[in-house]
Amino acid sequence: MNKFNNANVLLEVKDLRTYFKTDNGILKAVDGVSFTVHEGETVGLVGESGCGKSVTNLSIMRLVPSPPGKIVGGEVIYKGTDIMTLSEKELRNIRGNKISMIFQDPMTSLNPYLRISTQMIETIRLHQDVTKQEARAKAIRMLQLVGIPSAESRIDCYPHQFSGGMRQRVMIAMALSCNADLLIADEPTTALDVTIQAQILELIKKISQEMGTAVILITHDLGVVAGMCDKVCVMYAGRVVESANTDDLYENPMHPYTKGLIASVPKMDGSREERLFSIEGQPPNVIDLPPCCPFHPRCNRTCEVCTHAYPPVKKTGDDHYVACWLHCSEEEREEALKAARKGEN
Amino acid sequence: MAIFRKKEIATNEFDQVIVGTSLTKEAWKRLKKNKLAVVGGVIVIIYALVALCADLLPLYPYDQAVTSHRNLRPSLTKTAGELMMEQEMKNLFFQAWRGGRLELSDEEDAQIETWIQQSKTNNVWDLVYARGMQAIEEGTFEWNSSEQRRIDNLLEDIETETLITINSVSAPVDGEMVSIEDMDYDTILSLYAQLIGADIELVSQSMYNEVSAAVTNELRANDSSLTGEDLTAAVEMEMDAMGETAFQNRAVQNIIGYIEQIAQRSASSDINSLITSGQAQLPYRGTFDLSNGLHVELEVSRVHERRYICGTDYLGRDLLSRIIYGSQISIAIGLVGTITSIFIGILVGALAGYLGGKVDYYLMRFVDIMYGLPYMLLVIICMAIFGRNIINLFFALALVSWLTIARMVRGQIMSLKNQEYVEAARSMGGSTMHIIFRHMIPNSLSIIIVYSTIRIPAFIMQESFLSFLGLGVQAPYASWGSLIGDAVSSMALYPYKLIIPSIIMVIFLFSMNFLGDGLRDAFDPQSKNQL
Amino acid sequence: MTKYIIKRLIGMIPTLFIIVTLSFFIVRIAPGGPFDGERALPEAVKRNIEAKYHMDEPLIVQYGRYMFDVIRGDLGPSYKYKDYDVNTLIGVSLPNSVVLGSMAMAVALLFGISLGVLAAVRQNTLLDYIPMSLAALGLSIPLFVFAPFLQQVFCMTLGWFPTTGWFMNDAPVRTAVLPVIALSFAYYADIARLTRSSMVETLRSDYIRTARAKGMKNSTIIFKHAMKGAMLPVVSYLGPAFAGILTGSIVVEQVFLVPGLGKFFVQSSFNRDYTLIVGVVIVYSVILIVMNFIVDIVYAYLDPRISYK
Repeated sequence: MNKFNNANVLLEVKDLRTYFKTDNGILKAVDGVSFTVHEGETVGLVGESGCGKSVTNLSIMRLVPSPPGKIVGGEVIYKGTDIMTLSEKELRNIRGNKISMIFQDPMTSLNPYLRISTQMIETIRLHQDVTKQEARAKAIRMLQLVGIPSAESRIDCYPHQFSGGMRQRVMIAMALSCNADLLIADEPTTALDVTIQAQILELIKKISQEMGTAVILITHDLGVVAGMCDKVCVMYAGRVVESANTDDLYENPMHPYTKGLIASVPKMDGSREERLFSIEGQPPNVIDLPPCCPFHPRCNRTCEVCTHAYPPVKKTGDDHYVACWLHCSEEEREEALKAARKGEN
Repeated sequence: MAIFRKKEIATNEFDQVIVGTSLTKEAWKRLKKNKLAVVGGVIVIIYALVALCADLLPLYPYDQAVTSHRNLRPSLTKTAGELMMEQEMKNLFFQAWRGGRLELSDEEDAQIETWIQQSKTNNVWDLVYARGMQAIEEGTFEWNSSEQRRIDNLLEDIETETLITINSVSAPVDGEMVSIEDMDYDTILSLYAQLIGADIELVSQSMYNEVSAAVTNELRANDSSLTGEDLTAAVEMEMDAMGETAFQNRAVQNIIGYIEQIAQRSASSDINSLITSGQAQLPYRGTFDLSNGLHVELEVSRVHERRYICGTDYLGRDLLSRIIYGSQISIAIGLVGTITSIFIGILVGALAGYLGGKVDYYLMRFVDIMYGLPYMLLVIICMAIFGRNIINLFFALALVSWLTIARMVRGQIMSLKNQEYVEAARSMGGSTMHIIFRHMIPNSLSIIIVYSTIRIPAFIMQESFLSFLGLGVQAPYASWGSLIGDAVSSMALYPYKLIIPSIIMVIFLFSMNFLGDGLRDAFDPQSKNQL
Repeated sequence: MTKYIIKRLIGMIPTLFIIVTLSFFIVRIAPGGPFDGERALPEAVKRNIEAKYHMDEPLIVQYGRYMFDVIRGDLGPSYKYKDYDVNTLIGVSLPNSVVLGSMAMAVALLFGISLGVLAAVRQNTLLDYIPMSLAALGLSIPLFVFAPFLQQVFCMTLGWFPTTGWFMNDAPVRTAVLPVIALSFAYYADIARLTRSSMVETLRSDYIRTARAKGMKNSTIIFKHAMKGAMLPVVSYLGPAFAGILTGSIVVEQVFLVPGLGKFFVQSSFNRDYTLIVGVVIVYSVILIVMNFIVDIVYAYLDPRISYK
């Protein structure tokens, strides 16, 4: 039985849609994404670049730059309240306090003109009623926790005096300094060296377990997901195509895209002569996509309905959902095809 | 690259273009979307066309001064003669009002007195003219005999006076007809001496006196505080500073004027008899042969039928024509100056950026020091001391304006230097010069072009600034700055002289700035916060 | 920091040296001298005068003598205004120019930065369009058009301000209004545009996103997080702006008849009053160099990434 049940749902994203207005048309970066995060759970969001992972998470925090971006629909329910309907002030109380984020590029995510101490202390004092000294002490504790050596003196440095990995540690310390319930980590290791990557991931895992923080981990690295996440959502062209518990997904992938992704991870036990699998082609541009499964040109099991309608989400197992016509019944396909043809005429 | 040239657009299964268009194409697309930039571009093109085709337009010569047409206001409907008559009547009405013959209401009298105190002459004139015309219509006012005579005389002049425009004068030199405009100083001097039957030495001396008299006037105009000894001293300094060539140029201009005057005078009686006898119709175009074998092509028109859309200046020159020819000079200086400064800038910047090391260090220290100079002041000194002509102006400006370009190109080259394709070119044995000019410069060209569009208005502003101070373009040439500079002193009386060139100049600068901004945003979206 | 300041101070010397040398030689090489006109003078008298001003010595000696004097702070006697020395002439007019220039700069900075920030924060609203159209005007209207225009409208037509006079010479304070507006307009335009674009850019940057994700208030984000970075391009623009205001003041002083240094400068160039020209150029350059120096220090203070070494 799953240790996460409906009672301790922390965040529920329902049919989230975020569109961007561009010169060439409307870019549907996120087009109906739904998933849930339970307390203390680590959820992985996986997909190729440009599939809408980051925008999904910016939308959760309502941080999508507008214009050109706009959240056009959906709900993000955090502990029973819909974030989308909150006032600016209530929203600020959630940002950084209940839900915090760390970003992809630690080089640019810290303000280069302010000392680390300033940036950390202001965060703590923003959400907690403490004095400057207390906030500073807490900041130093957090820095020690994330493994910054001689934190007492380093706290007064400027960001450019830290290395990339160290900066990401500072970001994590800052993000968790208010004991957030949910940490959104947007590709936290992409800009770092491989050795540092492992350290940072280990750190996130350790701290989230210690503090009981739920984590949404955005990555394109299935290996990372396998090591860290309880649950995985696979995204393609702005939608979740498959979601399942990590072990379930790896053992029993349902969507051809997921299968392709898993097959393309190099295996240590595979023979060297064997060619590494790769999914042919490129992901589509999400501007003006016709109503169809966006993956069908790259799919090796396309049928007629794939080119005419988007598949519905089907539950195929315990907490395992997939959006693919292959897992629909014959009647459903026929019906969809008919409806689509009618629409076209 | 071949794919682009054949215009085969690659698409994926969703009919989406999967190969991006070239950077330049994208930039053009962005530019076309920017309405302000497009409008700016169109206006700039119109300006450029008008300036280029100035010689083909039906304009009065920009340096032809008609004495009786001084300071005429702009008018679309009225001819110069009508305006002259209007001005004359305004004067007469005003005098009549002063003399108590033109009676106005007490309020109007008081109003006029306050206007006079505030020196709002135009308001006074307009009011007395309107009231006076009304009074004549109502029969309450009549011209007295002397006034009537003045009006009649003026009317007579307006109807009969003709203007002979000399299009070209040529004289035989060594058996060939040569235009006097192409003659050198000695030839034209001897021609002129011959023409008036005087000794060459004498003529030469009088030429010197004339030029120095002109210089005296210019100096007085620049600095009214100069008198007596100081003035003489300044004039002599100026004459010494002018040098032989500059002096001869001015003298030649004067002599051409004289010869044309002589031609005019000799032709006028003949032409007039032609016209009165009805043999010739105005406007008349023809040729005329003078004694000494001078061949004259001329044009005769009724001078007071001219129309001045933009009015005339203090010498009776057509302002429209001066503005258009002034635009020619202003735009040309902007363009040529920018091109020169870009050329120097690219050379220095590319060398410093590519060679690096000591060369880079010293070149850039030099640029830094030059940056610290109040260079506009140095330009002013140069102009004041080395003579005020267009060539000097242009050199002075170009020599100090390449600094920013050099810095920019250097930065660009430094970043391109480490790009793979440059390494590839180097690995294939390309020479330094080849790499710089075939690979690096073309790749930074778009930024350079964008920057130069932004530079042109700045250049034009600097030129106009100097001309405004009286240090730039000199009469009879005009530029926007000199037109505005000339108009400032009389702006209360003749505001149009200030307003029209100002508007023309501002519209151009406006369009140029919008075009430049648009180009920068289109080609170089990253560098929005550079000036 | 102190080391950096000292280094920059020392770095100013070659610039000054070049300026003095350049202007000295440009003026001397030029044909025509200040006493050439007085040919009527007996040869002996002329020689006396020249000896008095050391003009009979070789150029290089004159140069050395002049350099020595300049280092002592003595800019020499004026060749044209016979009973004055350059120090006195500059001393009388410089305060007027400095006051005019600094007021214009202050006005330009105040309005430029505040309206620029406002425009960036309220993008694509009236609060953006109005200040920015004004700035576009300021960019395209040359000072020598704008100054007479102001005079025509506000002095002649409306009569709100006296046409001439300067408030430091016993005239009412409002005489300063138009010259300051005229001089500051173009710099307001540049500063406002620069502030807006760099503010917009900064507000789009990752660290501002971080600040927003931390739940900070918009005002705090703008003034605490974005301001410092956004001001950097503005600060580095101030050097050229000071230079522009110096030259611009020549026009403004001429149009509004402000008894400042600019008028002297143009006049002395015409008169070939060597010592006065070089003196004015030196004074202007020192102002400019000091301003550039201050700008550099402020920049280094604002941007912690600049190393002081």
